[in-house]
Amino acid sequence: MDRQVDVVVVGGGSTGCGVVRDLARRGLDAVLVEKGNLTHGTTGRMHGLLHSGGRYAVSDQKSAEECIEENRVLRDIAAHCVEETGGMFVKRPEDSEEYFQEKLEGCKACNIPAEVIDGEEARRREPYLARDVEKAIALPDGAIDPFRLCVSNAADAREHGARIETHAPVTDVLVEDGEVVGVEIEHETGPGKRVHREPGTTEEIRARHVVNATGAWAGNVGEMAGVDVEVRPSKGVMTVMNTRQVDTVINRCRPKGDADIIVPHETACILGTTDEEVDDPEDYPEEDWEVDLMIETLSELVPALEDARTLRSFWGVRPLYEPPGTGTEDPTDITRDYFLLDHGDRDDLPGMTTIVGGKLTTYRMMAESISDHVCETLGHEATCDTAEAPLPGSEDPARMEELMDEFGLRSPVARRSGQRLGSRADDVLDEYNPNPIVCNCESVTRAEVQDAVDDAGSDLNAVRLRTRASMGNCQGGFCTHRIASELAEEYPEPVVRDAEDELYQERWKGQRHALWGEQLSQAMLNHLLHATTMNRDGDPANLDGEVDFGAFDAGADAPGADGSGGDTGTAAADGGRASDDAATDGGRASDDAATDGGR
Amino acid sequence: MTRHTDDDGDAGESNEATESSDGGYEGPTPGVPESGRDEQPSVFVPDEGEAAETDATAGDRAATDGGVESASAGADSTELDPDAYDPVDVFPGGDLDLREGADSCYKCTSCDTSCPVAEVDDEFPGPKFQGPEQWRLKRKDDHDIDESITSCSNCMRCDDACPSGVPLSQMHNEARGQFVERQMEKLSVEYIRNRVLANYRTSASLASMFPRTASFAMNFGPARWAMEKVMGIPKERDFPEFATETFREWWKARGGAQVENPDKRVAYFHGCYSNYNTPEVGKALVSVYEHFGYEVMVPPQKCSGTPMFANGMLKDARRHAETNVENLVEAIADGADVIASCTSCSLSLRQEYPELFDLHGIDDVAEHTFEALEYLRIHEDLEEALDEAGGLDDERAFAYHAPCHARNQGLSRQAVETFRDVDGVKMEDVGDSCSGISGTYGWKEEKYEKSMEIGAEMFEHMEDAEGEVGMTECPTCAMQMEHGTGYEIEHPLQLLEDALGA
Ligand SMILES: Cc1cc2nc3c(=O)[nH]c(=O)nc-3n(C[C@H](O)[C@H](O)[C@H](O)COP(=O)(O)OP(=O)(O)OC[C@H]3O[C@@H](n4cnc5c(N)ncnc54)[C@H](O)[C@@H]3O)c2cc1C
Ligand code: SF4
Ligand code: SF4
Repeated sequence: MDRQVDVVVVGGGSTGCGVVRDLARRGLDAVLVEKGNLTHGTTGRMHGLLHSGGRYAVSDQKSAEECIEENRVLRDIAAHCVEETGGMFVKRPEDSEEYFQEKLEGCKACNIPAEVIDGEEARRREPYLARDVEKAIALPDGAIDPFRLCVSNAADAREHGARIETHAPVTDVLVEDGEVVGVEIEHETGPGKRVHREPGTTEEIRARHVVNATGAWAGNVGEMAGVDVEVRPSKGVMTVMNTRQVDTVINRCRPKGDADIIVPHETACILGTTDEEVDDPEDYPEEDWEVDLMIETLSELVPALEDARTLRSFWGVRPLYEPPGTGTEDPTDITRDYFLLDHGDRDDLPGMTTIVGGKLTTYRMMAESISDHVCETLGHEATCDTAEAPLPGSEDPARMEELMDEFGLRSPVARRSGQRLGSRADDVLDEYNPNPIVCNCESVTRAEVQDAVDDAGSDLNAVRLRTRASMGNCQGGFCTHRIASELAEEYPEPVVRDAEDELYQERWKGQRHALWGEQLSQAMLNHLLHATTMNRDGDPANLDGEVDFGAFDAGADAPGADGSGGDTGTAAADGGRASDDAATDGGRASDDAATDGGR
Repeated sequence: MTRHTDDDGDAGESNEATESSDGGYEGPTPGVPESGRDEQPSVFVPDEGEAAETDATAGDRAATDGGVESASAGADSTELDPDAYDPVDVFPGGDLDLREGADSCYKCTSCDTSCPVAEVDDEFPGPKFQGPEQWRLKRKDDHDIDESITSCSNCMRCDDACPSGVPLSQMHNEARGQFVERQMEKLSVEYIRNRVLANYRTSASLASMFPRTASFAMNFGPARWAMEKVMGIPKERDFPEFATETFREWWKARGGAQVENPDKRVAYFHGCYSNYNTPEVGKALVSVYEHFGYEVMVPPQKCSGTPMFANGMLKDARRHAETNVENLVEAIADGADVIASCTSCSLSLRQEYPELFDLHGIDDVAEHTFEALEYLRIHEDLEEALDEAGGLDDERAFAYHAPCHARNQGLSRQAVETFRDVDGVKMEDVGDSCSGISGTYGWKEEKYEKSMEIGAEMFEHMEDAEGEVGMTECPTCAMQMEHGTGYEIEHPLQLLEDALGA
């Protein structure tokens, strides 16, 4: 492993993915290393708003201008990741008129197309808006899918010769003679795509330059190199509703505040958010009051939210940064701008650059500026074309009608597949016939799941992020096993089982914060299906000992069938069936039964 | 906002303009008087002001009797509260947004397992997809609805099966309406055939002017051939016979109600079938109700909409609903409850109307509507009356089928329970399968075989039952029962009339 690459990019969020694409397209030999899945960090836990800049039009006009510029670029190059929903800043009677005017002027100053509409018109566009909403500013906010965006960037980078390594945390930054010369990574399950149960390995990657794009974790990587990067992580909650109450981004028109935005995202609506500084981006409290606050406060804008079904909640941490000595007290006042820290200039440690701050909407612009910087440092001459070159999937608009006829998909399925896959739809869907639906809630077909498996190995969470399979209202209850079965042809049974468990666990995690009403019923039904119908908590195949298949085959007449063998324990576990039944059905070795009963 | 009322109680087609209301609905107005309409703008696709139907109904007016004097329509209706408006009503063009209904679905699949069409039709994805899943995937500007919605027969069993209150049939009805409105080729043979089937009342009222010729002509000769070849109506089906005297003609001839009783009034919603085809059911109802001292009113009325819902012809259904609601609201104001002898008519007034339309007084109508036998079982001591009457002289045995729509109203056991202890009556329930005809479903060539496949279980059980006479509350189930077994079919009210000696 002595080969030296040009650049190692650490961190597979929007920033890292954008950087590696840009560098690869400029002809540099680049490697992206990410400790989890792509989007494992903040990028996978953000709101999905493609900013028009309206949110910063009063407080931070530089950011606002960047946002509207990049908003236009992304509609073009990332069309299949963007939904052009439009947005509104709505004013309730108690919200300040003065601020409303300031916002409007700010938008004009930043070249954000903005239009004032009255309450009636606002409700005509969004019927669920509260009746006392007085007026609104309509502007071009949108929704963006961060998963698709990162995956497409990475795919394009790979097409241009980059190497992408996920599940490969950087464990050390190599410093030799006062210069960063590479990183050491640990492949959790060996290099390449992740497959459960493959043994881990370590690798040293030597590089001419290291880009630290680890967001809220930038301090950790900095520390490995012996430099100080003061990131001030600030958490925010987001609550996912089961359906879309609004099809437009709804912002509250008032100065900064919690719970002031609803983003329609794919099949759902996401409510957000809070802003609270935390000590550790990996370990912070997820508090119920935050979720309650979302629903209560945002019901003032959209009253239907109060009784609507909540699927789950999740938290993300903003990688806020401010130059040492600024000393801002309130995290909401910290700038949303990004910072490029050249450790050569700053800490006298050449060979590494850190990029922190910013937002997803401006990821491409950030990537461009850091790539410029890296090229300059390496003396590499090349121009950036990422603002014009469409991402894979966004080359042409998807041909929805044709998809339906050509691939025999029902219209909402074809529509959703087309929206997700964009111009890749043909190639992906062409692979399977018949092509059954694997995830019903989100209408994901086998072809799409298999396409994701090709890319992500047995990592079903990565498959989920690519396809949205298991992200609908059953939250995996009815489909994790079906998705896992899609692995069975390629991978051995234990791998499939691990993958299934991991996905199911992940789905459970977010639902813990939505356990009331309908989602509680759903969770109970899921639990009973998995625990009882599928017997996943006592599945003989999951037990360590050998299964005594003979006991099944011999039937009720077999010796011991109604003797002391299995029946006491089994009968109890089964709810007291007649003992001869129990024997037929159980035939389980008595020690199994005991394990089971002892739970 | 003022609401004025037509004082002549006319169900006809006066073409007054409705004032354009604050919601900004400026489209042409349907040809109905205003008292049946709501201050809210039309919530469904604006009616293009289609020419009023050829007025075969003009003759009905004279029959407006039974004590409908005052026209204080909707006097007991709650006033409209502008804050209580329901955003469900306001997708562009007035379509309903039913995405929120998907919140109640936890995907248990009970609906799929009880859908009779999904059982026999592999191409049909079933109610779970059709309802909550498809709706959840919808966005405001998506107008494509999957074509398979046209395979749903609207039996509404899925409604009944859902443990979680998902408004399945409302979702299907609305989706079907949107599909037909936006995606179905308006001049296609299928569209025209479905529209003819849906507007049974129009065909029937024409046919009943020359009942004998009509029955003959529809079942034989070139007309029959044309129906099969051109319209896709299966040759196996016989068109129902038209009565020589409609129920309303009979009612008028007899001089309307024979009993006057301001304390016990019912407004009879006879529907199309017992008017044009089986007036004996209507007559039985009148004699039973008069036997118990009720004053029967027969308000002007049009089709209940059942066949129109099943074919996505929501505009047609709405137009008819306006007339029905207007007249029934008036009857209710006069102290009447509404009764129907057809379980699909009563279900339509009770459930589909308020789910799909926003008409003034529609909730009152829904609340005051009952199936005819159900109403008697609530208000009269039928058991004792039957006991006193002493039963039938000659023993009779029946094979009873509970219509799906009766099941939805919790009425699937009422006939069996009513006659269980009556001497000389033997009634066997032939089980809970669907008859397979589901109104107009079995009338479509491409659905005929499926329809018979669904009905097979019922046919078999009927053959096994002792009785050689079928019994059911639903006229189209009756057609299917007759078609599959050759039995004669009666309505429970006819048996009740006999057993009471009414
Ligand atoms: C609540 C919330 C809502 C937001 N909403 C929006 C919005 O609507 N619109 C918008 O434009 N922006 C939004 N943002 C901001 C936006 O999400 C972030 O600015 C952006 O995602 C940051 O991306 P990143 O790549 O810099 O960081 P990250 O996505 O965090 O990427 C860093 C990556 O580095 C990896 N990593 C860490 N340590 C190591 C290591 N040792 N080795 C290898 N890899 C490592 C992490 O796993 C992670 O994947 C929001 C942020 C928050 C918190
Ligand atoms: S209404 Fe009947 S046919 Fe239609 S989906 Fe429901 S159960 Fe099936
Ligand atoms: S029966 Fe109701 S809850 Fe169950 S899957 Fe069907 S719609 Fe959903």
